[in-house]
Amino acid sequence: MAAPVTDRPLRTPQQPSSRRRRWPLARVDAKFTPYLFVSPFFLIFGAFGLFPLLYTAWVSLHDWQLVDGEQGFVGLDNYTALFGDPNFYNALGNTVSMFLLSTVPQLLAALGLAALLDRGLRGRTFWRAGLLLPNVVSVVAVALVFTQIFGRDFGIVNYLLELIGLDRVNWQADSWSSHLAVSAMVMWRWTGYNALLYLAAMQSVPRELYEAATVDGASRWRMFWSITVPSIRPTILFTIVVSTIGGMQLFVEPTLFDPKGASGVGGSDRQFQTLTMYLYEKGFRLFDAGYAAAIAWVLFLVVLVFALVNFTLARRIASKG
Amino acid sequence: MTNIATRRAVALAAAAVLATGTAACGGSADDGKIKITVGTFSDFGYEALFADYEKAHPNIKLEARKLEFDAHHSQLATQLAGGRGAADVVAIEEGWLAQFRTSKDKFVNLAELGAKDLKDQWVSWKWNQGILDDGNFVMGLGTDMGSLALCYRKDLFAEAGLPTERNEVAKLWPTWADYAKVGERFKEKVTKAKFAGSAENIFTAKLNQSEEGYFAKADDRFIADTNPAVKDAFLLAGAMGAKGLTAGVKPFTPEWTVALKQGSFATETCAAWALAQIKSGAGDEAADKWDVTSVPGGSGNWGGSFLTVPKQGKNTKEAYEVAKYLTAPEQQKKIFAKTGNLPSEPSVYKDPEVLGKVDPYYNDAPVGQIFASSADSLKPNYRGTKDSKVRPRFNEALARIEQGKATPEAGFGEAVTQSRNEVK
Repeated sequence: MAAPVTDRPLRTPQQPSSRRRRWPLARVDAKFTPYLFVSPFFLIFGAFGLFPLLYTAWVSLHDWQLVDGEQGFVGLDNYTALFGDPNFYNALGNTVSMFLLSTVPQLLAALGLAALLDRGLRGRTFWRAGLLLPNVVSVVAVALVFTQIFGRDFGIVNYLLELIGLDRVNWQADSWSSHLAVSAMVMWRWTGYNALLYLAAMQSVPRELYEAATVDGASRWRMFWSITVPSIRPTILFTIVVSTIGGMQLFVEPTLFDPKGASGVGGSDRQFQTLTMYLYEKGFRLFDAGYAAAIAWVLFLVVLVFALVNFTLARRIASKG
Repeated sequence: MTNIATRRAVALAAAAVLATGTAACGGSADDGKIKITVGTFSDFGYEALFADYEKAHPNIKLEARKLEFDAHHSQLATQLAGGRGAADVVAIEEGWLAQFRTSKDKFVNLAELGAKDLKDQWVSWKWNQGILDDGNFVMGLGTDMGSLALCYRKDLFAEAGLPTERNEVAKLWPTWADYAKVGERFKEKVTKAKFAGSAENIFTAKLNQSEEGYFAKADDRFIADTNPAVKDAFLLAGAMGAKGLTAGVKPFTPEWTVALKQGSFATETCAAWALAQIKSGAGDEAADKWDVTSVPGGSGNWGGSFLTVPKQGKNTKEAYEVAKYLTAPEQQKKIFAKTGNLPSEPSVYKDPEVLGKVDPYYNDAPVGQIFASSADSLKPNYRGTKDSKVRPRFNEALARIEQGKATPEAGFGEAVTQSRNEVK
C-alpha cells in the first residue's frame, strides 16, 4: 500500500506561500480558534470545579472554623481523626447500602421499561414523555411527598400495611426501613430517566438482527439478553457510572426524610446519615470546616473508586453476555 | 407560619441559591432609598411595623427575609464566613447566640452606636446575654423571651376524667414527677391519644428551669455528665417516653403539625412563642379545645432572640436604628398583641394592656398574666458556647428511647459520650 496522503501536496511552491501572504491571520485562526471555542467550559470548570477542589484540599489541612476561618495548619490531623471516627464508617455504610438498594433495582427496572417501550406501542410518545415526568418534579417536592407517604402515624404505606393485617412500621426509626424509603424516592425519580437513555440506545440496534433471530426461532427473552443488552453496553456502562456518582452523593432525599429537617444527622441514631449529610453536619452545623473539607476529599476518592470498580465489573459482566 | 413543610422547602431552596453565592446584598434600592434587610425566622411580627418605620424615615426601605430556624442560623454562619450576603439586621436565637459570640469581630459593636443607653429597657439577664467584655461590646438587642407555660387539651382531659379548668389543672402538677403521674392516669383512660407530644420538649422545659445546663456558668466547662439537673430531666422525660406517655413526634416539624391536627397528644410545654405555632398547627377545628396553664416546677426560659448587625452590611448605622426601633418597648407591645411573643422588657410585660391580654383561641386564657408572672419569677438558664452542638445529642437519645431502641439510662450514657466527643 502507498503511504497515507499527508498535507504534502499543499506545500508545493506555488500555493502555500501565496496563501500565507494573502491570509496572515489564517494560521493563528486555525491554531487557536478551536481552543477559544472549547475554553468556556474549561474556564467555568476551573472556577467552579478545579479551584474549589484544590481550595478544599488546602482547607482540609487546617483547623478551620466556618465563621472565624483559619486557626492554624494541622497537616493530616483531620484525616487521621476521620479514619478513626465511627460516625464516618456509619455514614459510609449507609451510603453504600442506599446506593445498592436504589441503583440495582432501578437500572434493572429501567432496562425492562425501555424494552417494553421499544416495541411498537400505541401512544408511544405519551408513554415516553411520562417516563421523564418524575425527573422533572423538584427533588425537594419528591422528598416531602414521600416523607408523608412513609409517615409513621398517618402515612399511606402504613395504612396499606395495616389493611392487609401487618404491623405499622416506624420508617425513620430503623436502618432497613429508612434505607428502603429513601431508595424508593431515588428510584421513583431516576428510573424513567435511565429508561429513556436505554430506549434511545435500543432504537439504534439494527432491526435485521432481530429479524434474523426471529427466523432462527429465538424467544423474546433470548433476543433481549443476546442482542439488546450487548448492543447497548456503552449506555449501560454510562448509566452505571452516573448512578454511582449520584448515589454516593445522596443528600436531599435523606435530609428531608429526617423529621428534624436540615440538621443533617439522619435519624435518632444516624441510621440514614449519608456521607454528604455528615459533611453538612460537620461543616454547617458544627462549623468545623476543616473536618468537613477532609470528608469532602475522602468522598471524592470513594466516588472515584466506586465508579471504577463498577465500571470494570459491569464491563466484564456485559461482555460475557 | 401556616405550612412548615413549605417553609422547609423554601428554606432549602434559598440555602441552595445562597450557596452558589448569588445572594443580593444590601445597599441602595432603585429609587435612591437606603435598603435595609431584616433577616428572621418563624414569626417575629415585624412586617406590620415596617410601613410605619418607612413613613417616618422616607429615605429607608425595609425588606424582610425569612427562613426556617435551622437554615436561618447555619446560613448566617456561611454568610459571615464568606463576608457577604447577610441581612443588615439579623435575628439570632439565644442558643445560637452563644456560638456566634465567639465570632464577635464579625458583628458591629452596637455600644459604639449608643446601645448602652438602652440597657434599662430590658430585664437585666436578657441584656447580659447580648453583651461581651463587661458590657463594652453590645452584640445584640433583645427581642422576645420564652417564659414557660403548659398547653393542654380540655376535651381529652375530660375524657380521662381529669379536671379541665386551668387553675385545677395547675394544681395537678406542682412538680414534674406529678406531671408524669398524671400522664399515667391519663394513659389508663385514653387510648386514642398520648399524654404529651414528645420527651424532647419535657426534657427541654425541665432543664430550662435550672440555672445551669450542659455547661458551667462560671467557666463554660462541660458538666452535662455531672450536673444532676441534666440527668434528672433526661431520666424523667426518658421514662415518660419509654412508658409510651409521649407521642414521639419531633416538635415543630410537619409530623408535629399533623399530630396536632389529629389531636394525637393532650399536653405540650409551651413558651409564649409556641402558642402561635400550636394555633396554626391545630387549626380552627380545635379552637375551643386547647387551654393554657402553668408549667410544673416553676418558671423557666425557653428561647428568645436578639437582633444583631453584621459588620459586612453597607449601612450599619441605619441598620442599628432599625434594630433599635424594632426592639423599643412601644413596638414590642404591638408585637405581643399580634403574635403573642413575650417581650423581654419589664415596662412592656407589666403594662396593664399586656397583662390583660386574653387569647380567645385558648378558651380566653389570660396569656398576658400567665406569661408575665412566669417572666417575673424566671431564672435564666446559662447557655454554653457549644450548647447547640450538645443539645441535639440529648434530643436524639430521647428519640431512640421513644422508638424503643434504648432504655433511659443507656440513652443518657450515649448522649453524654457523644457530647464529650463534640466538645473536646
